[in-house]
Amino acid sequence: MKRVRRGPLIAIAAIALVALLVPLLPLADPLHMDVVHHLSPPSLQYPLGQDEYGRDVLSRLLWGARTSLAVAAASASLACLFGTALGLAGGFMRGVAELVAVRSMDIVLCFPPLLLALLIVMLLGPGAATLIPVLAVLYTPGFVRVVYAGVLSVRSQDYVEAMRALGAGPSRIMLRTILPNVAGPLLVQFSLAAAAAVVLESGLSFLGLGVVPPAPSWGLMIGAARATMNQAPLLLVWPCAALSLTILAMNALCDALRDAVDPHTQPARLRRHAQPPPPPSRPATGTAVLDVRNLMVEIDTPHGTIQPVRDVSFTVRAGETLAIVGESGSGKTLTGLAIMGLLPPAAFVGQGSAWLQGHNLLRLDDAGFRRVRGGVLSMIFQDPLSSLNPVHRIGTQIAEAMHAHFEVAHFEAKEEVAALLDRVGMPDPERRARAYPHELSGGMRQRAMIAMAIANDPRLLIADEPTTALDVTIQAQVLDLLGDLQREFRMGLVFISHSLPLVAEIADRVLVMYAGEIVEQGDVREVFAAPMHPYTVALLQSAPRDDGTLPVSIPGAVPLPHAMPPGCGFAPRCGLREAACEAQHPPLVELASGRATRCLRWRELA
Amino acid sequence: MPWLAKRIGVAALLVWAVASIVFLAIRLVPGDPAELLLSQGGVAPAPATVTELHEQLGLDRPVLTQYFDNFAHLLAGDLGRSLQDGTPVASEISRRLPRTLELIGFAAVLAVLIGIPCGLFAAIGRHGALDRIATWLAAFALAVPVFVVGTLLVLLFAQTLRWVPAGGYVSLTDDPLGHLALLAMPAVTIAFGLSATVFRMTRAAVLDVTQRDFVRTARAKGLGPARILLHHVLRNALMPVITVLALHLGTLLGGTVLVEYVFNYPGLSGLLVEAVNARDYPIVEGVVLVISVLFVVLNLAVDLLYAVLDPRVRTA
Repeated sequence: MKRVRRGPLIAIAAIALVALLVPLLPLADPLHMDVVHHLSPPSLQYPLGQDEYGRDVLSRLLWGARTSLAVAAASASLACLFGTALGLAGGFMRGVAELVAVRSMDIVLCFPPLLLALLIVMLLGPGAATLIPVLAVLYTPGFVRVVYAGVLSVRSQDYVEAMRALGAGPSRIMLRTILPNVAGPLLVQFSLAAAAAVVLESGLSFLGLGVVPPAPSWGLMIGAARATMNQAPLLLVWPCAALSLTILAMNALCDALRDAVDPHTQPARLRRHAQPPPPPSRPATGTAVLDVRNLMVEIDTPHGTIQPVRDVSFTVRAGETLAIVGESGSGKTLTGLAIMGLLPPAAFVGQGSAWLQGHNLLRLDDAGFRRVRGGVLSMIFQDPLSSLNPVHRIGTQIAEAMHAHFEVAHFEAKEEVAALLDRVGMPDPERRARAYPHELSGGMRQRAMIAMAIANDPRLLIADEPTTALDVTIQAQVLDLLGDLQREFRMGLVFISHSLPLVAEIADRVLVMYAGEIVEQGDVREVFAAPMHPYTVALLQSAPRDDGTLPVSIPGAVPLPHAMPPGCGFAPRCGLREAACEAQHPPLVELASGRATRCLRWRELA
Repeated sequence: MPWLAKRIGVAALLVWAVASIVFLAIRLVPGDPAELLLSQGGVAPAPATVTELHEQLGLDRPVLTQYFDNFAHLLAGDLGRSLQDGTPVASEISRRLPRTLELIGFAAVLAVLIGIPCGLFAAIGRHGALDRIATWLAAFALAVPVFVVGTLLVLLFAQTLRWVPAGGYVSLTDDPLGHLALLAMPAVTIAFGLSATVFRMTRAAVLDVTQRDFVRTARAKGLGPARILLHHVLRNALMPVITVLALHLGTLLGGTVLVEYVFNYPGLSGLLVEAVNARDYPIVEGVVLVISVLFVVLNLAVDLLYAVLDPRVRTA
């Protein structure tokens, strides 16, 4: 649990302190009447004046805090005890206990709360003695649900199973393991119940069905002041303000507790980033569709700015497939997203350029990027299910890509969608165009994604692990499809993958990335036949083999971006490591025929 | 559609449970309802009158017989007669219910018109000035209880400025303008807190949906921000908002008590409070039952709406 914000905590502590200490304060008796001076304006003796019976308003206001908080605390505690017991019983014993404890709460939730309260008040008569159990009943289901859910999630965990195997009885397991785990959510639930109880207590008292006069209560004070609001409007304002401020503080405390219990951290505040500095000159692109130079992606984190992609340069020619391979965290996906202008909010391009058809993509504004994205440049993502909008038909989502770039009549778009779906190998394309994503298989969904990506005849297609979420047999089909389409449309294809066998199958050239940098690049056959970087060697050894020998895993893990070693990033995991590797950061050495390696000892590998 | 049949079955079961609980609560709670009803100012009533009332209410028969009789009557639409003036409970409720529904409906429309656009803009300009102001206003609006809002509105607009009458009701056919004028203040009172709830839900849902993969796909297609927001984000974000709004409307069915009381609005919950004070059991029973049924039906309607909005639910 993180730290709870101070402000609301202090405010509630102050109110609670007043409520506790009010009998000790030098105040007039809140019940003492002085009818002669009723509705008197504020005076030295009565700083907030006197009410319709001449009682001291300030005193009644402070005593009212005591009433409110006492009722809230008592009813929330009662509900918490009762709800926790029921939730534990239901979650742990299952069977009938579960049915009774959990399902019966659904019936309580079926009554609007105020209505249920009124019903019980009618049966038992008004008064604080009724109020507390009534409110407790109303808030019990919340506690039952929290504890029940907590028990269900904890009881399936290994350490509970282990305790059970060691012979711990159910009651001991409950107290030792489950209660500490649900303590945070219970605290949040308690604060919610207490805040709601203050609201409901005041409402019922206002109606004359809660706290009984002449006891001091904010709800009663507001109700009484309504009658005299012509002569003394301020009498109405004080209890309204006291009640609202108390609830405001309690709500703020609820939010603060919830934030503290919630494991999701607050995202860092985003700042506007300046455009990267312009590159010196426009490169002579030649036959390259895409020319990326010195790309650097940065991310603001609470620990400072990190650079998960550094100094990445490459070109892709028309009709060529460039594969980017690397482990998770190597920066390959961020590279693709940076080119598409789709980096997540906290990430931004620190420097570099990416030229496509005479435009530097990284210098485009939003409107300029929109014209390029989905047009000459498009992308396929890893998980087709989450990447398709669940509430729109496949055909609509594909047609949308066309409408975004060209004026197309609806019937034409419809025909075009069917033709595209047919082209990507979707059987019965007209009917499938009317399907929703969840109605298709994984392979079909990815085909739909591909149809969407090629709808506007792109010059460059970025495919980010397009087959990872698919079955092996479907993988091969999708891979074949991508290869066919690429030859047919003569697109440049950037194929991002962690799987070397796939890369060997589809790519012309390969770019090996490690910890945000290119460590080796070159023709795919040459790199695979004679790797010139120890990381590539290790990657090749870790891939599954045809001959049945066991793959060798790479020891260690990719260094974290904010803990990058000063020398070679791979050095800590490298068998060829020597002193020089850890002392200086190796440059990318360009070799003949487009090959390059970022290893000081590449000659010993070759 | 087995899914639909199952939902309707569960709803019917809940209604039955509610009706049974209301019935049993009144009969099983200690204290004789007839005696309580006849006691005035702490004076015990004559035994003869109590027996007479017992017969009139059917309380002299076995509880189980009463229970089945009660259900037979309920199924026939007969909710009994008021103990105070003998009017049929069903007709009293059908006279009052539309007024409460009109009030809630008006408030819901206001809340949606304010809450959803504000939530949307706050989410777009996250951490911006508009977002921060709106978030603070919402926290404030949620902290002021509804009867405080109503009372202060009366103090300001009826007592001090004298723009509108302090409360009451005229029917739409008698005086359309007066009807709306009297409806406005209670509706605004309810919408005050409700729009804050809608705002919060919308903001959270939009922020959540904007981070989903399919929004990235929409951007990758080259769609403009307006199209993405309206076509891809809003449709998905509205689902949780609708659920929460509907649940709140259900709560309001019983929760307009305070507002109707403040504005002297003769709706359903006003009837309930009067009946609770007068211990008019048939009316209380009837009102609680009708509201709970509406509550359950509303939840069912939300599920159906979900099925319309989200194609995945239909096949699930």
